[in-house]
Amino acid sequence: MNRKGKPRTIWKEITKKGQCYLLLLPTCLLLLTFNYYPSFSAIYHSLFDWDGANFIRYIGLGNFINMLHDPTIPLSFLNTLKLTICSLIINLTFPLLAAALIFHLKDSRFAYFYRTLFVIPMVVPGMVVFMIWRFIYNPISGLLNQLLTSIGLTQLTRPWLGDFDLALYAVIFIGFPWVAGIATLIYLAGFQSIPIELLDAVAIDGASTWTKFWKIELPLVMAQIKLIIILTLIGAVQGFVNIMVMTNGGPGEATMVPGLYLYRNAMYYNKMGYACAIGTFLFLIILILTYLNIRYLRSSIEYQA
Amino acid sequence: MRKGLKHDLPIHIILIILGIFTFYPFVFTVITSFKDSPQFIHNFWGITWPLHPLNYTDAWSRISRYILNSGIVTTASVFGVLIIASISAFAFARFNFPAKDFLFLCILSLLMIPGILTLVPAFLLVKRLGLLNTYWALILPYISGGQVFAIFILRSFIASLPEELFEAARVDGASTLQSFFNIAIPLSKPILVTVAIMNVLGTWNDYVWPLVTISDGRLWTITVGIVSFSSQYGGLEMWGPMFAGYVIASIPLIVLFFFTMRYFIAGLTSGALKV
Repeated sequence: MNRKGKPRTIWKEITKKGQCYLLLLPTCLLLLTFNYYPSFSAIYHSLFDWDGANFIRYIGLGNFINMLHDPTIPLSFLNTLKLTICSLIINLTFPLLAAALIFHLKDSRFAYFYRTLFVIPMVVPGMVVFMIWRFIYNPISGLLNQLLTSIGLTQLTRPWLGDFDLALYAVIFIGFPWVAGIATLIYLAGFQSIPIELLDAVAIDGASTWTKFWKIELPLVMAQIKLIIILTLIGAVQGFVNIMVMTNGGPGEATMVPGLYLYRNAMYYNKMGYACAIGTFLFLIILILTYLNIRYLRSSIEYQA
Repeated sequence: MRKGLKHDLPIHIILIILGIFTFYPFVFTVITSFKDSPQFIHNFWGITWPLHPLNYTDAWSRISRYILNSGIVTTASVFGVLIIASISAFAFARFNFPAKDFLFLCILSLLMIPGILTLVPAFLLVKRLGLLNTYWALILPYISGGQVFAIFILRSFIASLPEELFEAARVDGASTLQSFFNIAIPLSKPILVTVAIMNVLGTWNDYVWPLVTISDGRLWTITVGIVSFSSQYGGLEMWGPMFAGYVIASIPLIVLFFFTMRYFIAGLTSGALKV
Protein backbone atom coordinates (compact mmCIF):
# COMPACT_ATOMS: atom_id res chain seq x y z
CA MET A 1 0.00 0.00 0.00
CA ASN A 2 2.68 2.38 1.13
CA ARG A 3 5.07 1.38 -1.62
CA LYS A 4 2.34 1.62 -4.18
CA GLY A 5 1.24 5.07 -3.09
CA LYS A 6 4.70 6.64 -2.86
CA PRO A 7 5.52 7.57 -6.47
CA ARG A 8 2.13 9.16 -6.79
CA THR A 9 2.60 11.25 -3.68
CA ILE A 10 6.02 12.40 -4.82
CA TRP A 11 4.64 13.32 -8.21
CA LYS A 12 1.82 15.15 -6.47
CA GLU A 13 4.33 16.93 -4.26
CA ILE A 14 6.36 18.05 -7.25
CA THR A 15 3.36 19.41 -9.12
CA LYS A 16 2.17 21.09 -5.97
CA LYS A 17 5.53 22.76 -5.49
CA GLY A 18 5.66 23.70 -9.11
CA GLN A 19 2.26 25.19 -8.61
CA CYS A 20 3.61 27.39 -5.82
CA TYR A 21 6.29 28.86 -8.05
CA LEU A 22 3.68 29.39 -10.71
CA LEU A 23 1.58 31.32 -8.23
CA LEU A 24 4.58 33.51 -7.38
CA LEU A 25 5.56 34.06 -10.99
CA PRO A 26 3.64 37.32 -11.64
CA THR A 27 4.98 38.85 -8.42
CA CYS A 28 8.55 37.87 -9.21
CA LEU A 29 8.46 39.05 -12.81
CA LEU A 30 7.06 42.44 -11.85
CA LEU A 31 9.45 42.92 -8.94
CA LEU A 32 12.49 41.95 -10.98
CA THR A 33 11.53 44.35 -13.73
CA PHE A 34 10.22 47.37 -11.87
CA ASN A 35 11.93 47.16 -8.49
CA TYR A 36 15.06 45.05 -8.49
CA TYR A 37 16.43 46.10 -11.84
CA PRO A 38 16.05 49.87 -11.18
CA SER A 39 17.58 49.54 -7.71
CA PHE A 40 20.70 47.80 -8.96
CA SER A 41 20.83 50.01 -12.01
CA ALA A 42 20.83 53.11 -9.79
CA ILE A 43 23.67 51.89 -7.61
CA TYR A 44 25.64 50.62 -10.62
CA HIS A 45 25.21 53.80 -12.65
CA SER A 46 26.19 55.98 -9.71
CA LEU A 47 29.74 55.04 -10.79
CA PHE A 48 29.27 56.39 -14.31
CA ASP A 49 29.10 59.61 -16.15
CA TRP A 50 25.89 58.89 -18.01
CA ASP A 51 23.34 60.83 -20.01
CA GLY A 52 20.77 58.06 -19.79
CA ALA A 53 21.17 57.10 -23.41
CA ASN A 54 24.31 56.52 -25.45
CA PHE A 55 27.02 58.36 -23.62
CA ILE A 56 28.38 56.37 -20.72
CA ARG A 57 31.81 56.45 -19.07
CA TYR A 58 33.07 54.74 -15.93
CA ILE A 59 34.35 57.29 -13.43
CA GLY A 60 34.52 55.26 -10.23
CA LEU A 61 33.60 57.40 -7.28
CA GLY A 62 33.81 60.52 -9.46
CA ASN A 63 30.17 61.43 -8.94
CA PHE A 64 30.53 61.23 -5.19
CA ILE A 65 33.67 63.35 -5.31
CA ASN A 66 31.79 65.85 -7.47
CA MET A 67 29.08 65.94 -4.82
CA LEU A 68 31.68 67.11 -2.32
CA HIS A 69 32.58 70.04 -4.57
CA ASP A 70 29.06 70.90 -5.65
CA PRO A 71 27.91 73.94 -3.63
CA THR A 72 24.24 72.92 -4.02
CA ILE A 73 24.79 69.67 -2.14
CA PRO A 74 25.70 71.08 1.30
CA LEU A 75 23.04 73.75 0.84
CA SER A 76 20.35 71.20 0.10
CA PHE A 77 21.39 68.86 2.90
CA LEU A 78 21.39 71.79 5.30
CA ASN A 79 17.81 72.51 4.24
CA THR A 80 16.93 68.86 4.76
CA LEU A 81 18.44 69.06 8.22
CA LYS A 82 16.32 72.11 9.05
CA LEU A 83 13.21 70.45 7.62
CA THR A 84 13.93 67.27 9.57
CA ILE A 85 14.46 69.01 12.89
CA CYS A 86 11.33 71.12 12.49
CA SER A 87 9.21 68.15 11.39
CA LEU A 88 10.48 66.19 14.38
CA ILE A 89 9.58 68.97 16.78
CA ILE A 90 6.16 69.34 15.15
CA ASN A 91 5.35 65.63 15.09
CA LEU A 92 6.42 65.15 18.69
CA THR A 93 4.26 67.95 20.07
CA PHE A 94 0.99 68.85 18.39
CA PRO A 95 -0.25 65.38 17.37
CA LEU A 96 0.86 63.94 20.70
CA LEU A 97 -1.02 66.67 22.54
CA ALA A 98 -4.14 66.13 20.43
CA ALA A 99 -4.02 62.36 20.94
CA ALA A 100 -3.47 62.72 24.70
CA LEU A 101 -6.40 65.13 24.96
CA ILE A 102 -8.70 62.87 22.98
CA PHE A 103 -7.62 59.93 25.09
CA HIS A 104 -8.41 61.80 28.30
CA LEU A 105 -12.01 62.53 27.36
CA LYS A 106 -14.36 60.84 29.77
CA ASP A 107 -17.01 60.22 27.15
CA SER A 108 -15.81 57.79 24.51
CA ARG A 109 -18.39 59.07 22.03
CA PHE A 110 -16.62 62.43 22.03
CA ALA A 111 -13.29 60.68 21.64
CA TYR A 112 -14.65 58.90 18.58
CA PHE A 113 -16.05 62.17 17.26
CA TYR A 114 -12.75 64.03 17.52
CA ARG A 115 -10.80 61.17 16.05
CA THR A 116 -13.08 61.11 13.03
CA LEU A 117 -12.90 64.90 12.83
CA PHE A 118 -9.12 64.84 12.64
CA VAL A 119 -9.13 62.03 10.09
CA ILE A 120 -11.29 63.89 7.56
CA PRO A 121 -8.61 66.43 6.49
CA MET A 122 -6.28 63.49 5.81
CA VAL A 123 -8.72 62.40 3.14
CA VAL A 124 -8.21 65.61 1.17
CA PRO A 125 -5.53 64.83 -1.42
CA GLY A 126 -2.13 66.10 -0.34
CA MET A 127 -1.76 68.05 -3.56
CA VAL A 128 -5.00 69.97 -2.91
CA VAL A 129 -3.68 70.89 0.54
CA PHE A 130 -0.46 72.19 -1.02
CA MET A 131 -2.44 74.20 -3.56
CA ILE A 132 -4.60 75.73 -0.85
CA TRP A 133 -1.47 76.72 1.05
CA ARG A 134 0.05 78.14 -2.09
CA PHE A 135 -2.96 80.40 -2.17
CA ILE A 136 -2.64 81.20 1.55
CA TYR A 137 0.91 82.44 0.86
CA ASN A 138 -0.01 84.28 -2.35
CA PRO A 139 1.64 87.73 -2.06
CA ILE A 140 -1.37 89.77 -3.22
CA SER A 141 -4.60 87.84 -2.84
CA GLY A 142 -3.35 85.30 -0.31
CA LEU A 143 -5.19 84.62 2.90
CA LEU A 144 -2.21 85.32 5.16
CA ASN A 145 -1.40 88.74 3.76
CA GLN A 146 -5.10 89.65 3.63
CA LEU A 147 -5.38 88.69 7.28
CA LEU A 148 -2.35 90.78 8.25
CA THR A 149 -3.67 93.73 6.28
CA SER A 150 -7.13 93.52 7.80
CA ILE A 151 -5.76 93.53 11.34
CA GLY A 152 -3.48 96.48 10.58
CA LEU A 153 -0.17 94.65 10.35
CA THR A 154 0.46 95.60 6.73
CA GLN A 155 4.18 96.00 7.42
CA LEU A 156 4.40 92.26 8.08
CA THR A 157 2.97 91.22 4.71
CA ARG A 158 5.46 89.70 2.33
CA PRO A 159 5.75 87.21 -0.52
CA TRP A 160 6.17 84.32 1.90
CA LEU A 161 7.36 81.72 -0.57
CA GLY A 162 9.62 84.22 -2.34
CA ASP A 163 11.43 85.32 0.81
CA PHE A 164 14.98 83.97 1.07
CA ASP A 165 14.88 83.59 4.83
CA LEU A 166 11.28 82.56 5.31
CA ALA A 167 10.40 80.36 2.31
CA LEU A 168 11.63 77.14 3.92
CA TYR A 169 9.77 77.86 7.13
CA ALA A 170 6.65 78.74 5.17
CA VAL A 171 6.78 75.25 3.66
CA ILE A 172 7.28 73.73 7.10
CA PHE A 173 4.32 75.70 8.44
CA ILE A 174 1.94 74.01 5.97
CA GLY A 175 -0.77 72.07 7.72
CA PHE A 176 -0.71 74.09 10.92
CA PRO A 177 -1.69 73.03 13.62
CA TRP A 178 -0.56 69.62 12.30
CA VAL A 179 -3.00 67.57 14.33
CA ALA A 180 -4.89 66.07 11.40
CA GLY A 181 -2.22 63.56 10.50
CA ILE A 182 -1.33 59.94 10.80
CA ALA A 183 0.84 60.75 13.81
CA THR A 184 -2.25 61.61 15.86
CA LEU A 185 -3.87 58.29 14.93
CA ILE A 186 -0.75 56.33 15.82
CA TYR A 187 -0.33 58.07 19.18
CA LEU A 188 -4.00 57.60 19.97
CA ALA A 189 -3.78 53.89 19.18
CA GLY A 190 -0.83 53.77 21.57
CA PHE A 191 -2.73 55.46 24.38
CA GLN A 192 -5.76 53.28 23.84
CA SER A 193 -3.71 50.11 24.13
CA ILE A 194 -2.61 50.98 27.67
CA PRO A 195 -4.30 48.43 29.98
CA ILE A 196 -7.23 50.09 31.71
CA GLU A 197 -6.45 48.34 35.04
CA LEU A 198 -3.09 50.06 35.10
CA LEU A 199 -4.67 53.50 34.73
CA ASP A 200 -7.30 52.66 37.34
CA ALA A 201 -4.65 51.55 39.80
CA VAL A 202 -2.75 54.79 39.35
CA ALA A 203 -5.97 56.77 39.71
CA ILE A 204 -6.66 55.08 43.05
CA ASP A 205 -3.19 56.01 44.21
CA GLY A 206 -4.27 59.59 43.72
CA ALA A 207 -1.64 60.67 41.23
CA SER A 208 -2.37 63.97 39.53
CA THR A 209 -3.26 63.99 35.84
CA TRP A 210 0.07 65.62 35.10
CA THR A 211 2.16 63.03 36.96
CA LYS A 212 0.08 60.25 35.45
CA PHE A 213 0.79 61.57 31.99
CA TRP A 214 4.55 61.95 32.44
CA LYS A 215 5.19 58.91 34.57
CA ILE A 216 2.75 56.35 33.18
CA GLU A 217 1.17 57.22 29.87
CA LEU A 218 4.09 58.78 28.04
CA PRO A 219 6.53 55.92 28.77
CA LEU A 220 3.87 53.47 27.60
CA VAL A 221 3.54 55.12 24.20
CA MET A 222 7.31 55.26 23.74
CA ALA A 223 7.08 52.66 20.99
CA GLN A 224 4.74 54.94 19.04
CA ILE A 225 6.96 57.93 19.68
CA LYS A 226 9.99 56.06 18.35
CA LEU A 227 8.00 54.98 15.33
CA ILE A 228 6.96 58.55 14.57
CA ILE A 229 10.56 59.70 14.91
CA ILE A 230 11.77 57.13 12.40
CA LEU A 231 8.91 57.75 9.96
CA THR A 232 9.51 61.50 10.16
CA LEU A 233 13.24 61.10 9.57
CA ILE A 234 12.81 58.86 6.56
CA GLY A 235 10.05 61.02 5.11
CA ALA A 236 12.09 64.19 5.54
CA VAL A 237 15.25 62.77 3.95
CA GLN A 238 13.66 61.68 0.68
CA GLY A 239 10.60 63.89 0.40
CA PHE A 240 10.63 66.81 -2.00
CA VAL A 241 7.12 67.12 -3.39
CA ASN A 242 6.24 69.82 -0.87
CA ILE A 243 9.29 71.90 -1.89
CA MET A 244 8.77 71.16 -5.57
CA VAL A 245 5.20 72.44 -5.73
CA MET A 246 5.52 75.26 -3.21
CA THR A 247 8.82 76.94 -4.16
CA ASN A 248 10.48 74.64 -6.69
CA GLY A 249 13.66 75.13 -4.70
CA GLY A 250 13.49 78.91 -4.90
CA PRO A 251 13.93 81.74 -4.46
CA GLY A 252 17.27 81.05 -6.13
CA GLU A 253 18.29 77.82 -4.47
CA ALA A 254 17.20 78.89 -1.00
CA THR A 255 14.88 75.93 -0.45
CA MET A 256 16.70 73.30 -2.52
CA VAL A 257 16.62 69.78 -1.11
CA PRO A 258 18.56 66.68 -2.29
CA GLY A 259 15.52 64.92 -3.76
CA LEU A 260 14.62 67.90 -5.91
CA TYR A 261 18.24 68.36 -6.93
CA LEU A 262 18.35 64.71 -8.01
CA TYR A 263 15.18 65.25 -10.04
CA ARG A 264 16.65 68.32 -11.73
CA ASN A 265 19.93 66.62 -12.59
CA ALA A 266 18.04 63.75 -14.17
CA MET A 267 15.22 65.56 -15.91
CA TYR A 268 16.69 68.95 -16.84
CA TYR A 269 20.45 68.46 -17.11
CA ASN A 270 20.45 64.83 -18.30
CA LYS A 271 23.07 64.01 -15.67
CA MET A 272 21.67 60.56 -14.94
CA GLY A 273 24.85 59.19 -13.39
CA TYR A 274 25.09 62.10 -10.99
CA ALA A 275 21.40 61.76 -10.14
CA CYS A 276 21.95 58.06 -9.42
CA ALA A 277 24.85 58.97 -7.13
CA ILE A 278 22.68 61.40 -5.13
CA GLY A 279 19.98 58.70 -5.00
CA THR A 280 22.47 56.12 -3.78
CA PHE A 281 23.72 58.47 -1.11
CA LEU A 282 20.16 59.17 0.08
CA PHE A 283 19.52 55.44 0.00
CA LEU A 284 22.47 54.84 2.32
CA ILE A 285 21.15 57.41 4.77
CA ILE A 286 17.67 55.88 4.60
CA LEU A 287 19.11 52.39 4.98
CA ILE A 288 20.61 53.39 8.31
CA LEU A 289 17.31 54.94 9.36
CA THR A 290 15.39 51.89 8.12
CA TYR A 291 17.60 49.69 10.23
CA LEU A 292 16.42 51.68 13.22
CA ASN A 293 12.87 51.45 11.87
CA ILE A 294 12.97 47.66 11.77
CA ARG A 295 14.37 47.56 15.26
CA TYR A 296 11.52 49.63 16.57
CA LEU A 297 8.67 48.62 14.28
CA ARG A 298 8.40 45.26 15.98
CA SER A 299 7.78 46.83 19.33
CA SER A 300 4.94 48.98 18.15
CA ILE A 301 1.66 48.53 16.37
CA GLU A 302 2.10 46.99 12.97
CA TYR A 303 -1.36 47.79 11.91
CA GLN A 304 -4.78 47.78 13.46
CA ALA A 305 -8.00 46.94 11.69
CA MET B 1 -22.11 62.11 31.38
CA ARG B 2 -22.91 65.66 32.38
CA LYS B 3 -20.20 65.49 35.00
CA GLY B 4 -17.82 64.19 32.34
CA LEU B 5 -18.62 67.08 30.07
CA LYS B 6 -17.94 69.63 32.78
CA HIS B 7 -14.72 67.92 33.78
CA ASP B 8 -13.57 67.74 30.17
CA LEU B 9 -14.44 71.31 29.26
CA PRO B 10 -10.82 72.54 28.96
CA ILE B 11 -10.03 69.57 26.74
CA HIS B 12 -12.99 70.32 24.51
CA ILE B 13 -11.94 73.95 24.21
CA ILE B 14 -8.40 73.09 23.13
CA LEU B 15 -9.55 70.40 20.71
CA ILE B 16 -12.15 72.72 19.19
CA ILE B 17 -9.55 75.46 18.72
CA LEU B 18 -7.22 72.95 17.03
CA GLY B 19 -10.18 71.84 14.93
CA ILE B 20 -10.99 75.38 13.85
CA PHE B 21 -7.42 76.06 12.74
CA THR B 22 -7.33 72.71 10.94
CA PHE B 23 -10.59 73.16 9.11
CA TYR B 24 -10.56 76.86 8.37
CA PRO B 25 -8.54 76.56 5.11
CA PHE B 26 -11.00 73.98 3.84
CA VAL B 27 -14.03 76.03 4.86
CA PHE B 28 -12.48 79.04 3.16
CA THR B 29 -11.94 76.90 0.05
CA VAL B 30 -15.57 75.86 -0.10
CA ILE B 31 -16.85 79.40 0.52
CA THR B 32 -14.55 80.92 -2.09
CA SER B 33 -15.44 78.23 -4.61
CA PHE B 34 -18.89 79.87 -4.92
CA LYS B 35 -17.63 83.41 -5.52
CA ASP B 36 -17.11 85.40 -8.67
CA SER B 37 -14.16 87.79 -8.94
CA PRO B 38 -15.89 90.97 -7.65
CA GLN B 39 -17.26 89.05 -4.68
CA PHE B 40 -13.78 87.71 -3.96
CA ILE B 41 -12.29 91.19 -4.00
CA HIS B 42 -15.02 93.01 -2.08
CA ASN B 43 -15.86 90.39 0.48
CA PHE B 44 -12.79 88.25 0.97
CA TRP B 45 -13.81 86.60 4.23
CA GLY B 46 -17.56 86.20 4.18
CA ILE B 47 -20.12 84.15 2.34
CA THR B 48 -21.50 86.13 -0.56
CA TRP B 49 -24.81 85.96 -2.41
CA PRO B 50 -25.73 84.94 -4.97
CA LEU B 51 -23.68 81.74 -5.03
CA HIS B 52 -21.99 80.92 -8.31
CA PRO B 53 -22.35 77.18 -8.85
CA LEU B 54 -21.23 77.69 -12.44
CA ASN B 55 -17.67 77.82 -11.05
CA TYR B 56 -18.06 74.11 -10.60
CA THR B 57 -19.15 73.55 -14.18
CA ASP B 58 -16.17 75.56 -15.33
CA ALA B 59 -13.72 73.69 -13.10
CA TRP B 60 -15.27 70.33 -13.94
CA SER B 61 -14.77 70.91 -17.65
CA ARG B 62 -11.08 71.43 -16.94
CA ILE B 63 -10.30 68.69 -14.49
CA SER B 64 -12.80 65.91 -15.21
CA ARG B 65 -10.29 64.37 -17.58
CA TYR B 66 -7.62 64.24 -14.86
CA ILE B 67 -10.05 62.66 -12.43
CA LEU B 68 -11.02 60.09 -15.02
CA ASN B 69 -7.35 59.30 -15.68
CA SER B 70 -6.64 58.95 -11.97
CA GLY B 71 -9.73 56.79 -11.64
CA ILE B 72 -8.64 54.46 -14.42
CA VAL B 73 -5.05 54.20 -13.18
CA THR B 74 -6.04 53.76 -9.55
CA THR B 75 -8.71 51.15 -10.25
CA ALA B 76 -6.44 49.12 -12.50
CA SER B 77 -3.48 49.35 -10.11
CA VAL B 78 -5.46 48.48 -7.02
CA PHE B 79 -7.13 45.47 -8.63
CA GLY B 80 -3.78 44.39 -9.98
CA VAL B 81 -2.21 44.63 -6.54
CA LEU B 82 -5.08 42.75 -4.90
CA ILE B 83 -5.03 39.90 -7.42
CA ILE B 84 -1.29 39.41 -7.66
CA ALA B 85 -0.55 40.03 -3.99
CA SER B 86 -3.29 37.74 -2.71
CA ILE B 87 -2.14 34.90 -4.96
CA SER B 88 1.45 35.24 -3.76
CA ALA B 89 0.41 35.73 -0.16
CA PHE B 90 -1.68 32.57 -0.42
CA ALA B 91 1.29 30.60 -1.72
CA PHE B 92 3.52 31.91 1.07
CA ALA B 93 0.94 31.37 3.77
CA ARG B 94 -0.41 27.91 2.99
CA PHE B 95 2.35 25.96 1.26
CA ASN B 96 5.85 24.79 1.87
CA PHE B 97 8.30 24.79 -0.98
CA PRO B 98 12.06 25.11 -1.37
CA ALA B 99 13.47 28.64 -1.04
CA LYS B 100 10.19 29.92 0.36
CA ASP B 101 11.75 31.95 3.14
CA PHE B 102 14.44 33.26 0.85
CA LEU B 103 11.90 34.43 -1.71
CA PHE B 104 9.80 36.06 0.95
CA LEU B 105 12.82 37.88 2.30
CA CYS B 106 13.68 39.06 -1.22
CA ILE B 107 10.23 40.57 -1.52
CA LEU B 108 10.18 42.04 1.95
CA SER B 109 13.60 43.64 1.63
CA LEU B 110 12.17 45.84 -1.13
CA LEU B 111 10.36 47.75 1.61
CA MET B 112 13.74 49.25 2.38
CA ILE B 113 14.25 50.62 -1.12
CA PRO B 114 13.16 54.25 -1.22
CA GLY B 115 11.41 55.58 -4.31
CA ILE B 116 14.06 58.23 -4.69
CA LEU B 117 16.72 55.61 -5.47
CA THR B 118 14.80 53.94 -8.27
CA LEU B 119 13.26 57.06 -9.79
CA VAL B 120 15.83 57.64 -12.53
CA PRO B 121 16.45 54.05 -13.70
CA ALA B 122 12.74 53.24 -13.49
CA PHE B 123 12.00 56.23 -15.70
CA LEU B 124 14.64 55.16 -18.23
CA LEU B 125 13.27 51.61 -18.14
CA VAL B 126 9.72 52.70 -18.81
CA LYS B 127 11.02 54.94 -21.56
CA ARG B 128 12.91 52.06 -23.19
CA LEU B 129 9.84 49.85 -22.96
CA GLY B 130 8.01 52.51 -24.94
CA LEU B 131 5.47 53.03 -22.18
CA LEU B 132 5.93 56.79 -21.67
CA ASN B 133 2.64 58.61 -22.09
CA THR B 134 0.54 55.50 -21.56
CA TYR B 135 -1.47 54.39 -18.54
CA TRP B 136 0.82 51.36 -18.36
CA ALA B 137 3.74 53.55 -17.33
CA LEU B 138 1.80 54.16 -14.14
CA ILE B 139 -0.18 50.97 -13.66
CA LEU B 140 2.63 48.42 -13.95
CA PRO B 141 5.06 50.08 -11.52
CA TYR B 142 2.20 50.83 -9.12
CA ILE B 143 1.17 47.17 -9.10
CA SER B 144 4.76 46.08 -8.72
CA GLY B 145 5.54 48.46 -5.88
CA GLY B 146 2.16 48.21 -4.20
CA GLN B 147 2.17 44.44 -3.93
CA VAL B 148 5.19 44.31 -1.63
CA PHE B 149 3.53 45.59 1.51
CA ALA B 150 0.25 43.98 0.44
CA ILE B 151 1.88 40.54 0.34
CA PHE B 152 3.39 41.19 3.75
CA ILE B 153 0.01 42.04 5.32
CA LEU B 154 -2.04 39.45 3.44
CA ARG B 155 0.39 36.64 4.11
CA SER B 156 0.17 36.99 7.87
CA PHE B 157 -3.61 37.22 7.65
CA ILE B 158 -4.06 34.17 5.42
CA ALA B 159 -1.57 32.24 7.54
CA SER B 160 -3.73 32.93 10.59
CA LEU B 161 -6.76 31.23 9.03
CA PRO B 162 -7.40 27.80 10.58
CA GLU B 163 -5.74 24.95 8.70
CA GLU B 164 -8.82 22.72 9.24
CA LEU B 165 -10.74 24.73 6.68
CA PHE B 166 -8.18 24.06 3.99
CA GLU B 167 -7.75 20.48 5.13
CA ALA B 168 -11.49 19.88 4.86
CA ALA B 169 -11.53 21.37 1.39
CA ARG B 170 -8.65 19.14 0.34
CA VAL B 171 -10.45 16.07 1.66
CA ASP B 172 -13.46 17.09 -0.39
CA GLY B 173 -11.18 17.20 -3.41
CA ALA B 174 -10.88 20.96 -3.86
CA SER B 175 -8.02 22.13 -6.03
CA THR B 176 -5.54 24.79 -4.96
CA LEU B 177 -7.37 27.39 -6.98
CA GLN B 178 -10.70 26.40 -5.49
CA SER B 179 -9.46 26.70 -1.94
CA PHE B 180 -7.94 30.07 -2.87
CA PHE B 181 -11.15 31.45 -4.35
CA ASN B 182 -13.64 29.78 -2.03
CA ILE B 183 -11.85 29.94 1.32
CA ALA B 184 -8.88 32.31 1.42
CA ILE B 185 -10.41 35.20 -0.51
CA PRO B 186 -13.86 35.37 1.14
CA LEU B 187 -12.34 35.19 4.62
CA SER B 188 -9.76 37.87 3.83
CA LYS B 189 -12.30 40.43 2.69
CA PRO B 190 -11.75 43.00 5.47
CA ILE B 191 -7.98 42.91 5.09
CA LEU B 192 -8.32 43.12 1.31
CA VAL B 193 -10.40 46.27 1.69
CA THR B 194 -7.72 47.77 3.95
CA VAL B 195 -4.99 46.91 1.47
CA ALA B 196 -7.08 48.33 -1.35
CA ILE B 197 -7.61 51.63 0.43
CA MET B 198 -3.95 51.88 1.33
CA ASN B 199 -3.12 51.53 -2.35
CA VAL B 200 -5.87 53.88 -3.48
CA LEU B 201 -4.39 56.57 -1.25
CA GLY B 202 -0.86 55.97 -2.47
CA THR B 203 -1.81 55.87 -6.13
CA TRP B 204 -4.29 58.73 -6.08
CA ASN B 205 -1.88 61.04 -4.28
CA ASP B 206 1.31 60.20 -6.14
CA TYR B 207 2.81 63.16 -7.93
CA VAL B 208 6.42 62.66 -9.00
CA TRP B 209 6.05 59.43 -10.98
CA PRO B 210 3.17 60.61 -13.21
CA LEU B 211 4.94 63.94 -13.61
CA VAL B 212 8.02 62.15 -14.91
CA THR B 213 6.36 59.57 -17.14
CA ILE B 214 3.36 61.43 -18.55
CA SER B 215 4.01 64.58 -20.52
CA ASP B 216 0.84 64.37 -22.59
CA GLY B 217 -1.63 66.66 -20.81
CA ARG B 218 -4.59 64.51 -21.86
CA LEU B 219 -3.25 61.62 -19.77
CA TRP B 220 -2.33 63.60 -16.66
CA THR B 221 -3.53 62.31 -13.33
CA ILE B 222 -5.31 64.58 -10.88
CA THR B 223 -2.18 65.52 -8.90
CA VAL B 224 -0.26 66.70 -11.95
CA GLY B 225 -3.38 68.20 -13.51
CA ILE B 226 -4.36 70.20 -10.46
CA VAL B 227 -0.95 71.86 -10.25
CA SER B 228 -1.15 73.00 -13.85
CA PHE B 229 -4.79 73.99 -13.41
CA SER B 230 -3.88 76.05 -10.32
CA SER B 231 -1.09 77.91 -12.04
CA GLN B 232 -3.38 78.73 -14.93
CA TYR B 233 -6.46 79.79 -12.96
CA GLY B 234 -4.44 81.40 -10.18
CA GLY B 235 -2.48 83.34 -12.76
CA LEU B 236 -5.75 84.58 -14.26
CA GLU B 237 -7.03 85.31 -10.73
CA MET B 238 -10.02 83.06 -11.40
CA TRP B 239 -10.18 82.11 -7.75
CA GLY B 240 -13.75 80.82 -7.68
CA PRO B 241 -13.31 78.14 -10.35
CA MET B 242 -9.85 77.34 -8.97
CA PHE B 243 -11.23 76.53 -5.55
CA ALA B 244 -14.18 74.70 -7.09
CA GLY B 245 -11.58 72.51 -8.78
CA TYR B 246 -10.00 71.73 -5.43
CA VAL B 247 -13.35 70.71 -3.99
CA ILE B 248 -14.09 68.48 -6.98
CA ALA B 249 -10.63 66.90 -6.76
CA SER B 250 -11.23 66.03 -3.11
CA ILE B 251 -14.67 64.48 -3.56
CA PRO B 252 -13.72 60.97 -4.78
CA LEU B 253 -11.60 60.18 -1.72
CA ILE B 254 -14.09 61.79 0.66
CA VAL B 255 -16.88 59.63 -0.76
CA LEU B 256 -14.69 56.55 -0.45
CA PHE B 257 -13.92 57.54 3.12
CA PHE B 258 -17.55 57.78 4.17
CA PHE B 259 -18.33 54.37 2.74
CA THR B 260 -15.35 52.58 4.27
CA MET B 261 -14.47 54.63 7.33
CA ARG B 262 -13.14 51.83 9.53
CA TYR B 263 -11.03 50.27 6.80
CA PHE B 264 -9.97 53.69 5.69
CA ILE B 265 -8.38 54.50 9.03
CA ALA B 266 -6.66 51.12 9.08
CA GLY B 267 -5.46 51.72 5.52
CA LEU B 268 -4.14 55.16 6.41
CA THR B 269 -2.17 53.90 9.38
CA SER B 270 -0.73 50.83 7.72
CA GLY B 271 0.10 52.91 4.66
CA ALA B 272 2.22 55.15 6.85
CA LEU B 273 4.19 52.24 8.21
CA LYS B 274 5.30 51.38 4.73
CA VAL B 275 8.51 53.31 4.25
